[in-house]
Amino acid sequence: MEPAIAVSQLERHFRNKKALDRVSFEVARGEIFGFLGPSGSGKTTMVKILTGQLQPSAGEAFVLGKRAAGRRDPEQLRRIGIMTDNSGIYERLTVYDNLALFRGLYEAPEKSVAGTLESVGLAGEARTTVQQLSKGMKQRVALARALLHKPDLLFLDEPTSALDPMNAARIHEALRALNRQGTTIFLTTHDMAEAETLCDRIAFLNNGTLSALDTPQRLKLSHADRSTITVVASDGRHVVNNDREGAERIAGWMRAGQLLSIHSDEPSLGDIFVKLTGRTLS
Amino acid sequence: MRFSLRRLRAIAIKEWKDAIRNPQILLTAAMPIAFSFLFDRKEASDPAVVAFPLLLAVSITGAFVQANMVAEEKEKNTLRMLMLSPASPAEVLLGKSVATSALALLVMIGSLAVTSVPDANPIGLTALILLLLIAFLAFGTTIGLLSRTVTDISIVGLPLLLVVIMGPMLGTSLDMGWFSAVVDWLPTQHFVLGLTGLLDSGSLAGIGVHLAALAFWCAAACLLCLGVYSRKRYDK
Ligand SMILES: Nc1ncnc2c1ncn2[C@@H]1O[C@H](COP(=O)(O)OP(=O)(O)OP(=O)(O)O)[C@@H](O)[C@H]1O
Ligand SMILES: [Mg+2]
Repeated sequence: MEPAIAVSQLERHFRNKKALDRVSFEVARGEIFGFLGPSGSGKTTMVKILTGQLQPSAGEAFVLGKRAAGRRDPEQLRRIGIMTDNSGIYERLTVYDNLALFRGLYEAPEKSVAGTLESVGLAGEARTTVQQLSKGMKQRVALARALLHKPDLLFLDEPTSALDPMNAARIHEALRALNRQGTTIFLTTHDMAEAETLCDRIAFLNNGTLSALDTPQRLKLSHADRSTITVVASDGRHVVNNDREGAERIAGWMRAGQLLSIHSDEPSLGDIFVKLTGRTLS
Repeated sequence: MRFSLRRLRAIAIKEWKDAIRNPQILLTAAMPIAFSFLFDRKEASDPAVVAFPLLLAVSITGAFVQANMVAEEKEKNTLRMLMLSPASPAEVLLGKSVATSALALLVMIGSLAVTSVPDANPIGLTALILLLLIAFLAFGTTIGLLSRTVTDISIVGLPLLLVVIMGPMLGTSLDMGWFSAVVDWLPTQHFVLGLTGLLDSGSLAGIGVHLAALAFWCAAACLLCLGVYSRKRYDK
């Protein structure tokens, strides 16, 4: 089957500035793909190109088999869902009326609103005016709007920015459930924890160029420093070498019943990002 | 993709529900009713007394409410979400126009209840009102598209509407050659003259030229509106 997204040598210039520079990657059907990068690295620009809001300056991008050319394509728009950080919901309307509008626009089935509200945990708020909701709830309304019509491919531009961990976890749960039903998800974030818990594969974006692309596990393994191991014993924290001598020392703590914890020194995704790009994520 | 009545209806319903919860829109919409108290019931045969409440209802309610709806969608970033849905520009703009027209109709009924119902050929009257309303909905949409925020509307739209609404009132009394010449072209002037003709003679044939002029204004306003909309991209 053709990939959900295929991007090759894609560039986007704004006057003399390159927002994206020869970016290539593919997203398979059914994947949760993370686009990780600091502010200004080009994440939103990529989402805009893939959803037909911006034209590429060079290279090409195919989304669900169709070339993204910076034009409105209603047939294509029907198959994708989009949620951005500025949520764009109608504050004076109720949660239900907001979704009923988009149910009409996508010609979705009558009962889709109730089911979608259930899936994002807002079934009890259908009659509440959006104005009266908390920020986390509003974000979930925006998510419900994006997946109401059961899109094949969902674009999320920083879906949990400015959310507390509780609300972010709720959104993550809803996204995993959706993904289990077959929806491909393309997500941008500068939150490495989010990328790690949610994504099958992650691309690192820095100044418009990709500097790494792999599964979170392989990224961490390939950059792990395997020469040392951190041990916490009852007399304190020790860093021992990963060799015969180190093994003897660890065995000693174990025999004495003094070993409290043991860690291989694997880096966080944030550490790897700094190592590869010399920049921090936030 | 084919034009969808279901989508148009979804937009119209949303627009209506949003408008009746929006104090700013309700206030703007109700202004013509308040103005109509200024006109004396006893002079119901004077075309001006009959015309101006209608003129205000169509221009203020029609154009300004429509402009407000469009500009607020831009300001709050919701227009982008509509454009990222399968809804076509025609469905979005017509859906809004349906809601605005319903509001304008209510305001007209309210205004006429305050003044008096004109004793004129109903077909001719309906045709005059309808043509003026379409032209002003298109003007309002254009003003909304050219504004970035709701407050921009007054800057972009007020001078234009002042000329268009006040023109027929001032044009004859000011006695300035070029200004009267401009006024003679205005859609509102043709509306007033058409209404006067209708009250005087009661025949449709007598106001044919004014209906034609209004139809021309409708076409021009719609073309202008479509031109502005099609040049509009996702980014402001
Ligand atoms: N319309 C535009 N005109 C000019 N420059 C732009 C435009 N849009 C984006 N840029 C520039 O392109 C670069 C990438 O911007 P983009 O919005 O894609 O970053 P981002 O990764 O989404 O950042 P953030 O995390 O802050 O949302 C930035 O330097 C930005 O200034
Ligand atoms: Mg962004």
